[in-house]
Amino acid sequence: MPMIPGVIKGLGVTFKTLIETLFPEGLRKPIPQPSKGAVTVQYPHEKEEPAPRARGIIALHEGNCTACMLCVRECPDWCIYIEGHKTKAPPRRAGGKPRQVNALDRFDIDYALCMYCGICVDVCPFDALFWSPEYEFSEPKIADLLHDKERLGEWMHTVPAFEAYEAGSEAKQKKVPE
Amino acid sequence: MNVTEQDQLSYIAAQAADSRINVEIETEGMTLNIGPQHPATHGTLRIVVKLDGEQVIAAEPIAGYMHRGYEKLTEVRTYPQVTTLINRIDWLGSFANEVPFILAAEQLMEVEAPPRARWIRTILFELSRISNLTLFLGDMGIQLGAMTPVFYAFRDREHVLNQIESVTGGRFHPNFDRIGGIKDDLPAGWIDGTRSAMTRIAEFCDQMEALLLNNEIFESRTRGIGVIPADIALSYGMSGANLRASGVDWDLRRDGGDGLAYKELDWKVWTHPDGDSFARFWVRLQEVREGVKIVEQLLDGIPSGPVMAKVPRIIKVPPGEAWVETENPLGAMGYYVVSKGELVPFRVKIRSASFNNVSIASWVLRGVYVPDIITILASLYFILGDIDR
Repeated sequence: MPMIPGVIKGLGVTFKTLIETLFPEGLRKPIPQPSKGAVTVQYPHEKEEPAPRARGIIALHEGNCTACMLCVRECPDWCIYIEGHKTKAPPRRAGGKPRQVNALDRFDIDYALCMYCGICVDVCPFDALFWSPEYEFSEPKIADLLHDKERLGEWMHTVPAFEAYEAGSEAKQKKVPE
Repeated sequence: MNVTEQDQLSYIAAQAADSRINVEIETEGMTLNIGPQHPATHGTLRIVVKLDGEQVIAAEPIAGYMHRGYEKLTEVRTYPQVTTLINRIDWLGSFANEVPFILAAEQLMEVEAPPRARWIRTILFELSRISNLTLFLGDMGIQLGAMTPVFYAFRDREHVLNQIESVTGGRFHPNFDRIGGIKDDLPAGWIDGTRSAMTRIAEFCDQMEALLLNNEIFESRTRGIGVIPADIALSYGMSGANLRASGVDWDLRRDGGDGLAYKELDWKVWTHPDGDSFARFWVRLQEVREGVKIVEQLLDGIPSGPVMAKVPRIIKVPPGEAWVETENPLGAMGYYVVSKGELVPFRVKIRSASFNNVSIASWVLRGVYVPDIITILASLYFILGDIDR
């Protein structure tokens, strides 16, 4: 049969991969460890580490938000809801005039609508929004995917520090507020 | 007019004679629906084939089950918002979808991306081609009944996707290209990580060659199946690797505009004279290898500097029209952007490769046998989102 040599070569590739998967430490230690050699991750027991820049969920640093509504306007599918009111804050120096600030009443992101494009994080001029690589926030009820400002604030703990840049870069490194 | 059974039969017989089929025994034709939902159709494409026994008399691809109306949606989205939508056209090579649109908008605004941004753009463009075609190489195997290649393809594509994720933040929908540059610079250690991913892809190419190209069963199922001559391919508007597999030396990376950094590199356009399914597989395999070479050259010579040109915060594109076409993983993809000087484009015409590539199905499927339909459709390689938009 002329159909043999190519098939044998292909089977060789498969067999080599099988050996590499079964014995990840090489054939000198012939103890089969398929769970170690396999490339798949056994999800609930072990977890994958997403990259620090991964767009998982948006965290809100409430102190920086001025309710300027830029993110609401720029969102492509309008899934951010903000309500605020003007209020007087105590003066910075003694004897000064009280300052007028915008207080945030409501900041909701509907993750059932969000398509994780990151435009809101980009346009925020006051660094109030950050990406967190956290991905485990599925809910049994769709209404629970509407995260309010307390819940969005909790995600701030999971925001990793910004990475350093590759050589030759002129970009300024940003910082995550404490 | 009433169509009698006799009329129908004579129609089928006429079509059968037309498609070079022996009709000594006048059998009744059978109409077979492949799709809209079928494991071999890559999504929701429907192909209606008329059969005479095992042989196809006529085939008609029916698209539109996944139409999402991108051209209309872009008319109510601002320019930065459009990139996040058009990511979803060809979902396996998302970054490549953004580039021609951004280049068209840059042409209208008369801004130019700084050299560092141009090089990073080209790297990501090529990485998305590699990740897309890697999956094709494995997918072609599973369409022909070989289970192993597709698992290897998913295994090794993961390394490329991880590199794309660690720089853009998204595995499938990067949304990283901006008018006047790119969103952010590379993170530290990314260049070395990409180099090791490229060596893995080079190994993967050798494995695919051993598993499929040298395999006699694979060869006998693809050689001479679905031959598309060069003039037919050109007349149907095919592009990309499908056209190069028909022997036409045409590549927009080499022949197209100056938007990306390809012209400063040393690489080769592969063509194959046969035009059959085997040739299409072979050309794509060589293209992944060439892509690895291109990425390695690009990584060696990234210029330093800023990644963003000076553009206003609120982007208003001056009135005018621009047409930019680039060589995407699936073929030529172009955007015709008309601006009236507002925040949103007035009209965007999207030319995507798969629509033209799959329209040849009615020509090439005539006269083949039923199992070859799958081979030919797999080797034409279309993404459903790219057909329907």
